[in-house]
Amino acid sequence: MRIIELNVRGTRRRLKKRRVAVRTPGGKVVYHYKAKRHGPARCAICKKPLNATPTGPRSFMKKLPKSKKRPNRPYGGYLCPSCFRKIVLKEALREGEILIKGGISVT
Amino acid sequence: MGLIEVGRVCIKTAGREAGKKCVVVKIIDKNFVEITGPKELTGVRRRRVNVKHLLPLPLKIDISEDAEDSEVLEALKSTDLYKEIVKAE
Repeated sequence: MRIIELNVRGTRRRLKKRRVAVRTPGGKVVYHYKAKRHGPARCAICKKPLNATPTGPRSFMKKLPKSKKRPNRPYGGYLCPSCFRKIVLKEALREGEILIKGGISVT
Repeated sequence: MGLIEVGRVCIKTAGREAGKKCVVVKIIDKNFVEITGPKELTGVRRRRVNVKHLLPLPLKIDISEDAEDSEVLEALKSTDLYKEIVKAE
């Protein structure tokens, strides 16, 4: 039978860290506390993971240049391209109405 | 293609210039066209783009094929679109 020792020193440690079960040289299984992993950046509308957006701890992200952290597009790194296009289309429909009302040559 | 023709005002839907307006200047083949902002007006550079990345608007200006940026700017000046863009700035 495995004896799992809770090696807790701080009562709030679980909030900041994740627990990993580790077999020690003495044969016991203890929990080691490690930094939580970061999830991928997701589209704010459809929640799909975004492409071209690396994930990692802040120390890693800080080292990257801005151009390697998100696509160089309006809403890049916030919306996925298909959701962005829908927004552009909605905007254009509004614009289109305005143009027709203005009485410009419509073909 | 139909709507994509020389002089057609479009919105770019992909890339760094997405959401900006541009004018079709030249039709290269059934998939690609050459567009221009012109750059001084909307910030879209003169470049070759895929037709799939364009959203045609119900506005067409009178320009010749392969027109210079200055000619396009001149042709746009009589439209409400130009006034709108200038007002926005």
